[in-house]
Amino acid sequence: MPNGATFADAYPTQARHIRAAFWASFLSLGVGAFFGLIQALHRTDILRVIESQTYYTVLTAHGVFLVISFTIFFLVGVFQWAVTDSLERPPVDMRFTWGWYGLMSLGASLTAFAILAGFTDSIDVRANVLFTFYAPLQAHPLFYVGLVVFVVGTWLAGADWFRSWLAWKGDNPGERIPLPTFMVLTTMIMWYISSIGVAVAILAFILPWSLELTGSLNPTLTRTLFWYFGHPVVYFWLLPAYLLWYILLPKLAGGRLFSDPLARVVFILFVLLSTPVGIHHQYLDPGISEGFKFIAMTNTMFLLLPSLLTAFTIIASMEHGARQRGGEGYFNWLTALPWRDPAFTGMALAGMVFAFGGFTGIVNAGMNINYLVHNTLWVPGHIHTQVGTAAALTFMAGAYWLVPQLTGNRLVGRGLALVQVVLWFVGIVFMTNSMYRGGLVGIPRRTAEPQYEGFEYEVAAGSVGELNAQLAIGGTILFVSAMLFLALMVLTAFNGGTEPIDDGSIPPALSGPEDSPAVLDNLKLWVAIAAVLVVIAYSFPLASIVSRGGLFGPDIGPIPVAIDAASTVARTALEAVSAVVR
Amino acid sequence: MRIHQYERVWLLASMVLIVGFIATITYGAVGLGITMVDDRGATIAPDEINEDERFGDPRVEQVGDDEYEVYAVAMTFAFQPDPIEIPADSEVTFYVTSRDVIHSFYVVGTNTNTMVIPGEISVVTVEFDEPGEYGLICTEYCGAAHHEMEGQLAVLEDEEFDLTELEVEAPDEVEPDGEIEITATVTNGQLEAIEETVTVELGDETLEESVTVEGDESESVTLTVDAADLGEGDHDWTASAGDLTESGTVSVVEGSEDDTEGGDDA
Ligand code: HEM
Ligand SMILES: [Cu+2]
Ligand SMILES: [Cu+2]
Repeated sequence: MPNGATFADAYPTQARHIRAAFWASFLSLGVGAFFGLIQALHRTDILRVIESQTYYTVLTAHGVFLVISFTIFFLVGVFQWAVTDSLERPPVDMRFTWGWYGLMSLGASLTAFAILAGFTDSIDVRANVLFTFYAPLQAHPLFYVGLVVFVVGTWLAGADWFRSWLAWKGDNPGERIPLPTFMVLTTMIMWYISSIGVAVAILAFILPWSLELTGSLNPTLTRTLFWYFGHPVVYFWLLPAYLLWYILLPKLAGGRLFSDPLARVVFILFVLLSTPVGIHHQYLDPGISEGFKFIAMTNTMFLLLPSLLTAFTIIASMEHGARQRGGEGYFNWLTALPWRDPAFTGMALAGMVFAFGGFTGIVNAGMNINYLVHNTLWVPGHIHTQVGTAAALTFMAGAYWLVPQLTGNRLVGRGLALVQVVLWFVGIVFMTNSMYRGGLVGIPRRTAEPQYEGFEYEVAAGSVGELNAQLAIGGTILFVSAMLFLALMVLTAFNGGTEPIDDGSIPPALSGPEDSPAVLDNLKLWVAIAAVLVVIAYSFPLASIVSRGGLFGPDIGPIPVAIDAASTVARTALEAVSAVVR
Repeated sequence: MRIHQYERVWLLASMVLIVGFIATITYGAVGLGITMVDDRGATIAPDEINEDERFGDPRVEQVGDDEYEVYAVAMTFAFQPDPIEIPADSEVTFYVTSRDVIHSFYVVGTNTNTMVIPGEISVVTVEFDEPGEYGLICTEYCGAAHHEMEGQLAVLEDEEFDLTELEVEAPDEVEPDGEIEITATVTNGQLEAIEETVTVELGDETLEESVTVEGDESESVTLTVDAADLGEGDHDWTASAGDLTESGTVSVVEGSEDDTEGGDDA
């Protein structure tokens, strides 16, 4: 890229494509945040604008819009930018690039339609199954079809980036893969390996069953296939944030990345270890032996390694940046960092929240401590520190730097943007503090009304009222912050006739790729090892699950979530009575 | 590969930390014997539940000196049995399965927590030291009224806990020249024999008898009264054993059919 030119100048078509991905992402963020606000106020019984049974339509939308649509549309944009910018070449065929974007948009729209139709009785389509869609809860087939189309879109996006890389390799034989592209390719390898799980779950079992082609399914099997995908998907959300921390943050801090080789090692570790751990979401599941759970636990603990290494590199790079800017002393260099820059501050805050959330993740991963917190509010506490902040806040902060590069316009409201990222941090501290503590006293997640008749929660310090207030206040602050972000993005998009402050160039790492063995770039090798690890971790559990419950399960009829509460309660009562009478 | 000195130290420290975590958890699992939900439970298809020896009649059963088993069923949107009563300081094993979708079985604020998946039986063994009433809720979204799925777990002092049941057979209507027979049956669901004083009252007649009921057995006591002694009209009866009481009414009427239908179950 010619010096001084923005990405938008150098690659106008590609910039337009990435902007389109970002708009899809931001739209999802806006809708998702609105639903989040409704949840925060409803659960705590502070303001209930919907009926409690509609809460689950809202929650399904919150989950899907935020962790499928917002995150993934954003990351394909970032990845497209990273590949194009670091290989210094556009995609081989732009029609293909628009093609996968079109598929993703189509898929997201179908799924969104299936979910949102749940708000009205006039359309007989419903999908109140939450983003985990555990069978035998059943959604309208469109929900699943949309997800599949969306995922196929991401697969083609990956193919597109591999194609760009192969074309580049032809022109640059023997050269090391540029780090940003290396990160994109390894992340996509992880994504291919893991998304097979959800594809099989939907295509082989859930979709045919929802279309009434098959009569039943094995709920443990589809659930296990979901979690086979469900853990690596969190790294799919997180690795683009890592990419921004490795590539952009050191530059924003005024320095350079500390070590390119270590960054490669980190991404390879994610390829190897992200998938054979999914059973840690199933510690409390019957039908899976303790041995398999133990293997998942140890793998999960080793998965801490790449994140711990990342913490080192990032802090070291920031320190280097600070010292370049004249920072001195053991800790005093911190004051020399560019805290007025919203992109920098947002990412730094996101990193801090991520480190804290990581420790709470260790609690989840401890297979026996997990019993105390499984399915309590503790878990959304963890979710919001990780994908909800480490990823989301990094994306927003990253957008303050990227969107000007992609539009050629100067960011509107730099000061307000700083307020926005700090607001997010404050909101998340309130909301997750309430969620973590509420989880420890047993308040469940995923419920419209955690207030029960038969017992009260025993809050050691504070009260349920105080926890509720914090959750609602935190949620409201987060919502305001999200809206502020969107407003600044829209204004920046229309801020024509200006120029970004920054020139968009990325300085090379202090310790470059030449310091690492070439084997790190041997992607085939890592794919092979990852595949072996997955087979070791999953073949026995899956075989055991199939032999216990059958490939297509015992004969359980579908439970469409369309049934309204009244008739279900009636059915329950009837069943209870008949059980007693008999 | 060139690795900075600090990086090496950090790498080593990270590995020590990770191995430390694994060791701690392994110690918890093996050393402290914290058991996990696993595949020890059998499988059961949801449509077999009603015919099943254990889950067809969800209940608490004594299986050893201080050992109990609970056969519980989760379904949209209730638990059976409800409430579940268990004694404190005993080893209680819950067997839980689902009639329909995925639920959970979570005793609020404790680590008694398991997923309940249709087709599978979750097995959890616990000991509650503290008597008290605990909330039992489903923490897995299971449909529109998920938030109403609530049961209760009552952990009782040893003295207060029993598995004694009282069942009474009495006629509804009797001819004025007939006989009224009221039979009270005491069933002892526990393993040790119990002593109970059974009282049956009808009109002015009272029968009081002490019975010894062996473990897993039942004993009956019958009071017989001539309808003529009572005269035409409605007459109330009561039967009690310990703190269990049953009551009902018998009518002495002309031209009635003498049907002996059972009173309510305990
Ligand atoms: C406006 C900001 C937000 C608010 C007020 C908010 C609020 C909430 C609340 C109250 C819950 C708990 C619902 C329950 O379990 O009953 C929840 C769940 C969740 N949130 Fe958020 N949230 C926000 C932003 C985000 C973001 C940015 C993400 C991810 C990128 C996210 C991802 C999730 C996920 C995955 C769940 C769990 C959904 C489920 O259990 O199915 N949230 N949110
Ligand atoms: Cu996970
Ligand atoms: Cu439920």
